[in-house]
Amino acid sequence: MSGMFVIFRKELADNFVNKRFLMIFALTLFLSIASAYQGANSMRESQLTNFLAIFTTGTSGTSFISLMVLFGPLLGLTISFDAINRERKSGTLSTVLTQPIFRDSIINGKFLAGAATLSAAILGTMAIMMGISIPLLGFGPTAEQLMAILSLAALTILYLCFWFGIGLLFSVLSREPSTSILASIGAWVTFSILIFIISGFVVDLVAPLPYRVVVPTNATASMITYERTLMETRNVVSNMISSISPAYLYSEAALTIMGSTGGAFSFTGFRVSMPTRIGGPSTFNIAEALSSTWPHFTVLAICLVVCFVVAYIRFLRYEIRPGG
Amino acid sequence: MSEPIIITKALTKVYGKKVAVDHLTMSVEEGEIFGLLGPNGAGKTTTLLMLLGLTVPTSGTATVCGYDVVKNSRDVRKVVGALPEFAGLYEDMTARENLLYIAALNGIPKRSAEERIMALLETVDLVSESDTKVGKFSRGMRQRLGIAQALIKDPRVLLLDEPTIGVDPRGTKEIRELILRLNRERKLTVITSSHLLYEVQQFCTRVGIMRQGKMVAMDTIDNLSKNISEKEGMRLEIKVDRMPPELKMDIEGIPGVVSVDLISDRIFVQMVRDVSGEVSKSITRHGCNILLMRSNEHPLEEIFMKYYGE
Repeated sequence: MSGMFVIFRKELADNFVNKRFLMIFALTLFLSIASAYQGANSMRESQLTNFLAIFTTGTSGTSFISLMVLFGPLLGLTISFDAINRERKSGTLSTVLTQPIFRDSIINGKFLAGAATLSAAILGTMAIMMGISIPLLGFGPTAEQLMAILSLAALTILYLCFWFGIGLLFSVLSREPSTSILASIGAWVTFSILIFIISGFVVDLVAPLPYRVVVPTNATASMITYERTLMETRNVVSNMISSISPAYLYSEAALTIMGSTGGAFSFTGFRVSMPTRIGGPSTFNIAEALSSTWPHFTVLAICLVVCFVVAYIRFLRYEIRPGG
Repeated sequence: MSEPIIITKALTKVYGKKVAVDHLTMSVEEGEIFGLLGPNGAGKTTTLLMLLGLTVPTSGTATVCGYDVVKNSRDVRKVVGALPEFAGLYEDMTARENLLYIAALNGIPKRSAEERIMALLETVDLVSESDTKVGKFSRGMRQRLGIAQALIKDPRVLLLDEPTIGVDPRGTKEIRELILRLNRERKLTVITSSHLLYEVQQFCTRVGIMRQGKMVAMDTIDNLSKNISEKEGMRLEIKVDRMPPELKMDIEGIPGVVSVDLISDRIFVQMVRDVSGEVSKSITRHGCNILLMRSNEHPLEEIFMKYYGE
């Protein structure tokens, strides 16, 4: 147990001086602050009172949620993709393994340190966003909105930890950090970008749009119904395919928690939606939002657990062989 | 006599189809410096890894200080300090930070760790470099720091895998002296693998020669040399300033001498018992001076080639 704590402490310290991590974190922090600032400004101009909008809007076209969908994975991956294989390569793993510690305390310590780092990064970013917005807006979140913000933080941390887990898994599976970084980037591109291109492609195959998209003024009722069912089918198919992706799961759940209805995230990752229930906190129910996003939380958690368990088992079975 | 500190019984490791270590049975007494010799791929590293509990044996058992390497591998690692093959330290940390981290992993409280680290850095002669990042260290310095790292837990056994590989001659000498000193002062049992025979000859009390996973010979270097002499007979090599023909006949007449050969300026005497005394007397009787005379204690290289070549 003490071994795990020692490793946790060292890894935590390493993460916070990891240049790659700091670079990506600085970028997301900057964009988050910019989006909060611009969001708060535009809310003030249009007299909106829903505090949660600072996480879903930004006139620059990026919201905190879409930033996290896109850059969140990188935050997790940069500190995990070479967590094990770098130490294997440099021989420090052999040195550590010859000490009287349990082997799993290495991977546990690394994972906990990663989770702590990502939590600190997310909570810090969100706190700064709120700290900038409250003076600008002149009001803060209601108790219920605060709950929603905390839920968003938890969801975001879970999502980032999942990506940390993917990177950790790659770092156990591949001997070379150069392989695991490529695998990590591949996973990131596939789940954050490609999946939406693929889903668009499949949608066009399954339910292609007719040449004439605009319903003419003299359209019959049946034509309108046809048009509507076609669009619905397209939506259902697209959602079905996209929901394989944790990025989609995250953005859907995050927007629901924020009281905003879907569509904030498309394959470009930058489409923005405004909260639909602008009316104020009374129409927004966090308990309802949480219960409807419960499956999203569960699926993300299961993905994370699967990644970690596979990495864990492979790591425990890993044998040091002559020749490194 | 007390129980040997390391005992292996029919220790075997198979990687896929390749038998890396084949029914290895050996024991090492406390306070010995045991040298594991053999060409690359003979199974030395695998043996050391199994003794450390880092690699699980396919069959057979091994105990270190009475702990089973499989069942009590964590206890084994409490009493064994090791410098495994390709072991590394954190390049971006200083020597002292590295040792502090290893000490923490061993559960040594920070305050006593600091003291121990200063003493250890002194032992391995790295005090002046204690706050230098390991990335700037030479190979020899790294190995010495690696030994310091292994010593931090105050082990009873030190396992070294090719401790001087890639180290320059001066660094090699320093490491050799360090190992000898540790053995003397701390009564530390040392097992070291090496393919550098000269080096092993310098400090090992006993050697084991491995070939294709099997231990083909295990004894003191003197005894191994004697074994070969018994098989091959003894030989005397002499260089004299003058070589009268009757001298050769005289030496041939000494009981126990099998043959006398003159090769360039040397006399080679093949004998069944040590006749060096009589030979030197006979040479002085003829008024010649001995410039050089040595009996062929078989050098380790010859021993090694004998066992390895068979």
